[in-house]
Amino acid sequence: MKINVVTSVLKANDAVAQSNRERLEAAGILVLNITSAPGSGKTALLEKTLPALAPELRSAVVVGDLQTTRDAERVESVAAAVTQINTEGGCHLSATQVSDALDGLPLEEIDLLFIENVGNMVCPSGFDLGEHHRVAMLSVPEGADKVAKYPTLFQPADVILLNKMDLAAPLEYDESIPEEDLSRINTRAPLFKISTKTGEGMDLWLDWLRERFEARKSEA
Amino acid sequence: MHEMSIAWELLSQLESIAAENAVERIESVSVAAGVLRGVVPEAMQMAFAEASKGTCAEDARLLLEIVPAEARCRLCEARFTPKPDSYLCERCGQADVELVAGDDIVLTSITCQQSEGGNDDEDQRRDQCP
Repeated sequence: MKINVVTSVLKANDAVAQSNRERLEAAGILVLNITSAPGSGKTALLEKTLPALAPELRSAVVVGDLQTTRDAERVESVAAAVTQINTEGGCHLSATQVSDALDGLPLEEIDLLFIENVGNMVCPSGFDLGEHHRVAMLSVPEGADKVAKYPTLFQPADVILLNKMDLAAPLEYDESIPEEDLSRINTRAPLFKISTKTGEGMDLWLDWLRERFEARKSEA
Repeated sequence: MHEMSIAWELLSQLESIAAENAVERIESVSVAAGVLRGVVPEAMQMAFAEASKGTCAEDARLLLEIVPAEARCRLCEARFTPKPDSYLCERCGQADVELVAGDDIVLTSITCQQSEGGNDDEDQRRDQCP
């Protein structure tokens, strides 16, 4: 016999993601899900972003990696709280893993939650974690074609960060290529060209975060 | 390999359906996967075969249909089919879209044998499904 079902296989994740979002909104927290390839500088971004926002805005971090607590150790001194998730082979974070991580965070003491996803340009795209904004990151040494090659990472992004701009000149990086690709993939998200090493462009990113936090607060 | 987490979730839904409908053995499973979810058919088949071991869907055929993408422009509301390398709205020329199809993975139907409370063999098999 045949049984017709029509049910989303992603719905279990989406339901937990929605409950994460509601729980975090009740605590007045703005949540960002940072996605990129390994090595684009997600952890370096947090190392520079969190101290620049403090003490006005206090941030916690949930970081996903297959193994080790190295990223958590790197941001520990600048974050109000950190939870490392080891996916042990899993190529993306799931809403349930984030939900479990939230249990260990002092939600009443933080304003922003940064979720540093597993470095991967394909798998994290399909899994809502309960974030308000998706941050897609790429960096100069990865080559100029990243946006065109991985459109599903950049299409849903609310903000796009092009990191390691200090290497643009020595690597003869053509900035017009990702810009041109984004003009076809995503014209909604602002593109900020930054260097977590020199601090170039970080003000634009920090201002964007502050604006989003204020906007979220006024919506609540 | 996000196919593995998709397979685990699919199996969890199949086991619930099997329990609700007194299904003894699932013969085939139809899934409509949005093209934007990047499901690689070969990887999905392998993941499903692995995840279904020891369940009532072991050896079931996975019938995978890839669903094309459809976008809605957030600015002018036009609906159109985005190209893999371009989400430009055909009406207003901006790339600010919401996806309305092609980004979900949907279990659409199963074919199965329902149990009738028969011999010992069947009882044993039924034990494998909650």
